[in-house]
Amino acid sequence: MGDRTVQAKSTENTDVNQDELILQQQRRIEKEIQETISLVGEKESLKALESEYTEDDIYLSKARALAQKYSFFRRTRPDGNCFFRAFSYAYLEKLINNKDEYEKFRELARKSKENLVELGFPQFTVEDFHDTFMEVIDKVGGDTDNSYIELHKLFNDQGYSDYVVVYLRLITSGHLQREAEFYQHFIEGDRTVKEFCHQEVEPMYKESDHIHIIAMSTALNTGVRVRYMDRGAGTEVTAHDFPEGSTPSIHLLYRPGHYDILYP
Amino acid sequence: MSQPTSSALRALALEYKSLQEEPVEGFRVKLVNEDNMFEWEVAIFGPPDTLYQGGYFKAHMKFPPDYPYSPPSIRFMTKVWHPNVYENGDLCISILHPPVDDPQSGELPCERWNPTQNVRTILLSVISLLNEPNTYSPANVDASVMYRRWRDSKGRDKEYENIIRKQAQAAKVEAEKEGIVVPVTLEDYCIKTRARPAEQQFDMTDFCDDEYELDDDDDDDEPLSASDYEDGDDSGNGES
Repeated sequence: MGDRTVQAKSTENTDVNQDELILQQQRRIEKEIQETISLVGEKESLKALESEYTEDDIYLSKARALAQKYSFFRRTRPDGNCFFRAFSYAYLEKLINNKDEYEKFRELARKSKENLVELGFPQFTVEDFHDTFMEVIDKVGGDTDNSYIELHKLFNDQGYSDYVVVYLRLITSGHLQREAEFYQHFIEGDRTVKEFCHQEVEPMYKESDHIHIIAMSTALNTGVRVRYMDRGAGTEVTAHDFPEGSTPSIHLLYRPGHYDILYP
Repeated sequence: MSQPTSSALRALALEYKSLQEEPVEGFRVKLVNEDNMFEWEVAIFGPPDTLYQGGYFKAHMKFPPDYPYSPPSIRFMTKVWHPNVYENGDLCISILHPPVDDPQSGELPCERWNPTQNVRTILLSVISLLNEPNTYSPANVDASVMYRRWRDSKGRDKEYENIIRKQAQAAKVEAEKEGIVVPVTLEDYCIKTRARPAEQQFDMTDFCDDEYELDDDDDDDEPLSASDYEDGDDSGNGES
């Protein structure tokens, strides 16, 4: 610990703060991505996915296998929030023409704020995120053609889109903390569930892992099937359902480090 | 994200308005420059019954363009002798650490920035940190050593105390020049507070810092007062 104190001091005392440099570089990369990839893209045929991998046999065969099962996909911006953004877009899109489930979800969302305030999140800010979240849900309700257009518009408006992500991160954190006893087993290292939430769930741009997916899908009572496309053996694209054994109502494509939306 | 996002402006305007309408005890805020929402001047009153009693400490808060996804930074403009304040006034507090992987801090159990933190929660943490420095990761090593000596001698070694009281006194004189009356009793300190928001029991683990090893006592929300200095390293709710 003595060593670490000295190290910490020496970096903090130099004129240029290392954290700041890393952040700056990260911001430059973010900006580039921001200018080239929309937050949520248009529906594309899976042929477009195949054409990304003409030079890569493993991925090409998997893209073809995927095209047997799915017709379309929709890209999301790789900014660390892609799981939450893809999940919420796909789910709301699904709810547009399912009035019963839409109402159930709306009620669950409405009640979620109280849980978060009870857990100690500051009411003032939670309320703001919650209000925006409800506004998005209300705007896409009504099952009209306009709902799909509105959903796409809201999710590409950074203000709305990111607030939805923040709020889903809070719901996920809230669920993890409430079921801490269970989720503790999934957390590596010495961290408590609460610490894990502070470091890996609540901050923006933090990527999602299995534990986030399990918690999010359980908290929203929604099955999600994730198709894994990687360098692993075989030509199939492995499927995992979260929570285990559920009937998937949305489908996501995972490529190392990133999630997009899939349409059967 | 070099351009301020609409979220940042919106969040800041909302917070600013709310703090004007419903000031929180212990501090006041205003804009450094009326046409820039991203730089605030905050004035923190030294809490009564602490070494900082009577003091009036000014600081500048700078918000990043992607606030509230990233935290602001705080620099004291008033001289503050404190283990967690650098020579130039920069304040080091874990709640303001950006949520990037920090090789120095590893996976230590610190409160980090998240988008629900806000000016209120930050400033309340700062007021707590004044009273309860984190000596595990000092920004001012001399102040830290001196503070520990004061604490371990149960206040018999007065060097730390004297410096703080002197600074608080000097700051008070400055405040008076500006026509500001610094509240020195608990009644005055709290008097302007209407309807305290229900967010007071927030997690005070945030002044644990990089090297801070804290036993996970999030539930420990016993209020600390000046008489609790003996075990000042414990995390607790420092509001007084």
